[in-house]
Amino acid sequence: MSMKEDLDEVLIEKSRSGDMAAFKMLVVRHEGKVAGVVRSMLGAIPEAEDVGQEVFIKFYDSLNKFRGESQVSTYLIRIAINLALNELKRKQKANARYASLENAGAIGDAADTMDLKELLDYEFHQLDPDFQAVATLRLIEGYSTEETSSLLGIPLGTTLSRLARAQHKLRMALSKKLKP
Amino acid sequence: MNDSFSEHEELLLRSLDAPVSAQDREKLAALMQSEFALRRQSDQYSRIREMMLRQQSDSFGPFFAERIINQLKQRVNEIDYLIFFFFKKYQVLVVGVLVALLIANILLTDQFSLRAIFGLDKPATEDIYSIDAYKSLPQ
Repeated sequence: MSMKEDLDEVLIEKSRSGDMAAFKMLVVRHEGKVAGVVRSMLGAIPEAEDVGQEVFIKFYDSLNKFRGESQVSTYLIRIAINLALNELKRKQKANARYASLENAGAIGDAADTMDLKELLDYEFHQLDPDFQAVATLRLIEGYSTEETSSLLGIPLGTTLSRLARAQHKLRMALSKKLKP
Repeated sequence: MNDSFSEHEELLLRSLDAPVSAQDREKLAALMQSEFALRRQSDQYSRIREMMLRQQSDSFGPFFAERIINQLKQRVNEIDYLIFFFFKKYQVLVVGVLVALLIANILLTDQFSLRAIFGLDKPATEDIYSIDAYKSLPQ
């Protein structure tokens, strides 16, 4: 076990006995990983921080259930992905309810004026939530495909297939702007 | 939008995320040499992946940890308040019931001693010993 994991274990033990300073240190140590996943999947929206807070509050509530079989960061990322996916699916439902063909046309026009980075961000968030989860872990957070599969609890083949389809969709959507 | 991709593009994508056999590697290298479209796709995928890697975020902004701790402390205070409120709501009722029981006891027993009020009347001998125990005594 690494020193980092040792320290996590000590902090968890202290947090279990109500030491808020120890829990705060756990939050500081793992905020980056959780922020990476949540903000990549949800974008820079106010709800992203709410989901981030919910991740750590859920973790606090389950401290007694945490057996240390997986690393704290892995455990947190699993919670983060599930909550971010729920939020994405909730938003997609809400959008589907209110979106009109007129709005879709307006977004299509706006895409012409977006720069490549903005368009990539926009198109990324148009992907199916399950594709976004895979792409976030592999392409943004840099996890290996095996780690991505394990974090999402899906077979390696599914991860590779979702990854390929997500990248293909992005390339097709961005092809106009990606011309050399 | 066309969601399907060619076998060559599929091989290219697979090579980016998973180990490919030596045979496939050679095949891909040959295809890259001969197919301009595949070379362009490879370049586009590299650019997309590079841009995505740069999107990495590592913070929710300043004082994120403090906000969580405050939220947790606030939640503990809310629970404490709920417990306090629950008892406060019923404390008058509980005290009222106790007083009523005491008064009823005084009125029913017609005695005003503390022992009577609390139902601690001096017991009679027959209340202490059961009749069966008496019968079992040697005659």
